[in-house]
Amino acid sequence: MTDKVNGEKNKSRLTKISFLLALFLIWEFVPVWTNSAKIIPPFHKVMVAFWTNLWHGDLLQHVAYSLQLIFTGILIGMILAFVLTALCIVSKRFNDIMDVVISIMHPLPGIALLPVVMLIVGLGAKSIIIIIVHSILWPLIVNALAGFNSIPKIQIELGKNLGMKGVKLIWLVMIPNAFPYILSGIKISWARSWRALVSAEMVFGASGMVGGLGWYIYKTRFFMDVSGMFAGLISVIIIGMLVDEFVLKSIEKNTVKKWGMSV
Amino acid sequence: MGDECIMSSLQVNNISKSYQLDNKELNVLNDISISLDSGDFLTILGPSGCGKSTLIRCICGMETPDSGEILIDGKPIDGIGPERLMVFQDFNQLFPWKTVEENIVFPLKLNNVSNNKVELNEIAEEFMDIVNLKQFRNAYPNQLSGGMRQRVAIARSLALNPKVLLMDEPFGALDAQTRAILQKELYQLWEKFKTTIIFITHNVQEAIILGSKIIVLGLMPATVKFETTNTIPYPRMPETKEFMSLWKELYGHLETKRF
Repeated sequence: MTDKVNGEKNKSRLTKISFLLALFLIWEFVPVWTNSAKIIPPFHKVMVAFWTNLWHGDLLQHVAYSLQLIFTGILIGMILAFVLTALCIVSKRFNDIMDVVISIMHPLPGIALLPVVMLIVGLGAKSIIIIIVHSILWPLIVNALAGFNSIPKIQIELGKNLGMKGVKLIWLVMIPNAFPYILSGIKISWARSWRALVSAEMVFGASGMVGGLGWYIYKTRFFMDVSGMFAGLISVIIIGMLVDEFVLKSIEKNTVKKWGMSV
Repeated sequence: MGDECIMSSLQVNNISKSYQLDNKELNVLNDISISLDSGDFLTILGPSGCGKSTLIRCICGMETPDSGEILIDGKPIDGIGPERLMVFQDFNQLFPWKTVEENIVFPLKLNNVSNNKVELNEIAEEFMDIVNLKQFRNAYPNQLSGGMRQRVAIARSLALNPKVLLMDEPFGALDAQTRAILQKELYQLWEKFKTTIIFITHNVQEAIILGSKIIVLGLMPATVKFETTNTIPYPRMPETKEFMSLWKELYGHLETKRF
């Protein structure tokens, strides 16, 4: 039984790796054959650029800067989402108002807000953080509220029957029940925050001496350092994948998957 | 009214309840009275949709009757609480993020049964043993079968030592074999702990196997149609004469109201 499961797992892993290898091979040879290596440099050149820029260039600095912005944004976004969702649960009136706010703000792309934010806060890290917060706040709240609305009635009754009410009931029964939705909100937010960050940085350029990955990608294109540009893209992909694989997926595996609560 | 009333652990006096349904008043419970002594095992029989769930939910405090009163040891019940614990039919009545052991320990801790970790674990141990789930202590509910989950729910409730244990068709969604096993286990637990139990079912055989008292409810609005004590010695085998005659009697009362 477990042998079969492991076999399937290995097969699945093998398929994924072979696909990636095939992709890299195509990337390596097709640009050369089609004489377009100037626009799309072969894979090994991008990798070399990635490696040298990371350790000898300024790529690492840009990565660090972007990560700093993104984590600040996520932290603020999560705290705000927590407070607003809590208020929605406690007060029906607040929930009504939030409904309106969400329907206005949720479809609004963060980048569209950038000019407004620039006018009010000016150029700088602050504006980028605001855009990140905007991009993740609404999906976080929408998902959390969906989670709270889908708690099985029996779980609430059970909690009350066992002697819980008020904050205890929310904390010990409702939040764990809503957790699968909350987690999927966090996953969406992680992807969204990257998009917001990179696009904001591109519009923005560097503020002061440093800039993030978005600016790095823009800058390398500006100087026709195409390999560097792809190296920047690859950094974005790698960070996204690492966090998804080692943070989000492992949280998922040890919580909702283990409990059989996947949405 | 007199000494008898004080002895009674549960007293349901003339409760009635109606629902609004599409602007029509739907009378669900009509003037129902039940009197139970401490340690009684009451099974309530009734056809599907007769309002037996509403009755037990009123006793639990999840719903309030329009009129009448429910007394425990002479005192009116005060909303929902752990002195009247419900075991549902739904298998989703454990906390999915807690293991079997945690599902039993958590309510104990919550109700200050003990603050001593060792003592809490001993209680959990005892009750997991009673329902034969010791080797599943670290399993999560989604890894258990329906029957096992119902066992955990029963163990969790008994560990809290409620004044009345309310069971709303807890074995209704189980296969016949598991159902028979759990009936036997539940009866043995009741003999051991002498907890007052109210058990709802639409299965006549189940009502006879389990109950020391049996009530038959009529259909919409539910009224008490028939009431009897069950003195058939245990184990109660369906093929015995007394079992069959009681079965016929109860079934007759059910049937007359169904059409």
